[in-house]
This record gives sequence, structure tokens and C-alpha cells, in this order.
Amino acid sequence: MLKSIGILIIAAIIVYIEVPSLLKKKYKKELIVFSIILTIGVGMSIAHSFGKSIPNPIDFLTFIFKPLHDAITR
Amino acid sequence: MLPNVKINSYQFLVLVILFTIGTSILIVPSALASDSKQDAWIAAIFGTGIGLLIVWFFTKISLFFPNLTFVQMNETLFGKWLGKSFSFLFVCMTLLYTAILLYNSGTFLTTHQMSNTPIAATNILMAGILVMGVRLGLETIARSAEIFIGVFFLLFIILVIFIVPQIQFENLQPVWEVNIKSLARSSLLLIVVSSVNAVSLLMIFPAFINKPKSAQKYFLIGNLIAGIVIIIITLLCILVLGADLTARQMFPSYGLAKKINIGNYINRVEALMGTLWIISLYFKMVLYFYASVYGLAQIFNLRDYRALTYPLGMIVVILSLIVYPNVVDQQKFETTIGLYFSLTIGFLLPLLMVIVYAIRKKQLKKVTKAS
Repeated sequence: MLKSIGILIIAAIIVYIEVPSLLKKKYKKELIVFSIILTIGVGMSIAHSFGKSIPNPIDFLTFIFKPLHDAITR
Repeated sequence: MLPNVKINSYQFLVLVILFTIGTSILIVPSALASDSKQDAWIAAIFGTGIGLLIVWFFTKISLFFPNLTFVQMNETLFGKWLGKSFSFLFVCMTLLYTAILLYNSGTFLTTHQMSNTPIAATNILMAGILVMGVRLGLETIARSAEIFIGVFFLLFIILVIFIVPQIQFENLQPVWEVNIKSLARSSLLLIVVSSVNAVSLLMIFPAFINKPKSAQKYFLIGNLIAGIVIIIITLLCILVLGADLTARQMFPSYGLAKKINIGNYINRVEALMGTLWIISLYFKMVLYFYASVYGLAQIFNLRDYRALTYPLGMIVVILSLIVYPNVVDQQKFETTIGLYFSLTIGFLLPLLMVIVYAIRKKQLKKVTKAS
């Protein structure tokens, strides 16, 4: 619980640093991409802080390239 | 539009050297020695030679369009949607490798220097400098690299001179005992780690250099210098520690620094030598991270890439914590699946680009003239 509050505080600081200047310059697209990535980041961090397992990119890559590896080494 | 910065050829040379040495100096000797035993240095020489060919291939591709980055090149060659999806794969690769390097630096610091610190703490601190470097821009990174390359080579020369008394030539014998198959396998690892991954440097190579034609030469020279450094480190590891011990250690060049002993007075200076690896790891990491942030900004046609640095830094920290559950997984990924992933993005994709360029040459010339 304490960890996720810390993560939310960090996210709030990031928003405080970035968003005002983006709003002032009227960068709409940047703001959308920024919020999507920040949401993914915060979601992953909180899931990790609660000890939930996050899908690991390495497992995904292993799933794709394993048949190739088996075919070559056999 | 994204801000337009230019660095000169010498700064680019320095960045290439630090990028290529990067992780290779820390982990490659053990990977080489586990396959080709005492002939690991021969594998290192082969790897550097073939790596130079690959870098030459990269320079040729990038000079098709001297004003575009790798991501923009994809878009011009393959069209909007296909190009963007290839670029997205490229960005995923660089982001994943940033996380892996962060994991490497974290394990190095927590196992060897600050053993009571949790890995998350060192990773967050390191990611802080990473984000700071990328926010300040490429010029700042290049200038700081210019300063740190001096420190790097000073420490490297000190390491080499101090370790010379410990050399035992028996460790090198018998020479040329290795069979071709394991030689090829171990040099492939070096080629991928130091040269094929240099595809991320194509994000800065033709577009942000003030004289791309002369910088082409520096790309090759930088790769060669870094290759020589790796050959020397591998040779010294074999000569001092022996093939068996080199293969068994996780960071053999750190074990090498532990062996320094001059007249029972200068010894255990490995913490000082740790600076070497932190410098080279940092610059490799920052270039990967720069490539992923800048690449993502160009995929979405953003006007400012700086807004993406903090959120992506957050993702990188989390990825670095989950990416490998343990060291065995790391070894397994780096010696098998990681190679295929790097080769797909760093070799097959550029090859495809050459083919498409050859087919669409006339059409593309019209487009570039019209614009």
C-alpha cells in the first residue's frame, strides 16, 4: 500500500513537471502519447509493488524464437 | 518539428567506442571462454573482423538517405504502416536492451560493491541519470563522452600495465585446439553484442552528424578501437585467470582487477576499476534509451521528445526488475534467443531495406527530388 502511494506521488510529480508546458504550447498529440505511456508505467509499477506477475517480454520472445532455435541446433 | 542538433565526427567516434565496448568488456570474456576455452582471444579477433564488415554495411545503408534517421528511413522505404510497425519493433528492442543493461549494472553494483542495497534502489538512481542525460540532449551526451573517454582509457591503461606481472603463458597453451563450430558460435555472440546492436546508432549516425561522409570512416575506426580493447581484455583474462576460471565467473574482467598486486602494496583496486564498467555501461545505456525515446517520438510525429523521457524511464526501471528472474535465465537468453532477436532487427531488417531500395530506386529519387 505504502509503495503504491509512493508511486502515485512520483507520477504526480512527473505530471506537474511535464503537463503545464505541454498545455501552454498546445501540444495535444504529445499529451495523449505522454498520458498513455505514463498510465502503462504506473499500472506496471503498482502491479509489481503488489507482487503480481507482469507479462515478461523475454517469455514472449522465447515463445517466438524457440522453434527457430530448435530447428537450427537440432 | 523535433529540435535539430549536430555533433562533430570526433564526438561521434567517442560515442561509437563507448557504445561498442559497453557491456562487452564486462560479460563477453566469460561467454567466449565457455565455448572456445583458451582460444577465446582467437574468437574475439574473428568477431571483431566480421563485426567491422557489418558496421561497413550499416554505413552504406544509412548513406542512402543522409538526412534521415533509421525510423524515418523505414517509413520512406516501406510506406507508412509497414514502416511504422518495423520501427515499433526497433523501438521495443532498444527499450528492452536499455532495461537489460540497467539490470546488468544493478546486479554488478549489488553483488560486488553494495551488497546490502536492494537492486531497485541502484536501478532507480541509474535511471535518474539516464533520463537526465536524454533530456539534456545528444550534444550534452556527446560532450560528456568526450571527457569520460579520457578517464576510461587512463584507467584501462593502468589496468593493463598493473596486471602484466601476473601473466602466465602456460594458460594459453595449447593454442588452436578449438573446433570451428564452437569458434563460430562464440564469435557470433561478440558480433551481435558489439556490432549488430550498433543498429541503434543509426538513429544518430547520418542525421545528426555535421559531415556524414567523413564520419562514415570514424564509425569503422571506433568499432576497430573498441574491438582491440575487447581482444586485449579477453587475452588478459585468459592469460591471468585461465580459461576455466574466466568461463565460470560472471564478471571476469572484475576478477582480473582483483588480481592486481604490485609488491604487496598496490592491491585490491577493483572498486576503482569498477569505474571503467560504469562509464561504458552508462553510455551504452544512454544511447539505447535515446534511440528508443527519439524513435517513439518520430513514429508518432511528435514535436518534442522530452515529454516521453520520464514515463519511459519509469517503464525501463520496472522492466529491469522483472526482465530476468535470475542469472541463469540471463545467460540462457543472451546466448540463444537474444541473438535471434538482435539478428532479426539488426541484420535481416537492414538487408530487407537494401532489397526494397534496389527495387524502388527510381521512384524514390523522384520523391526526394520533388520534396
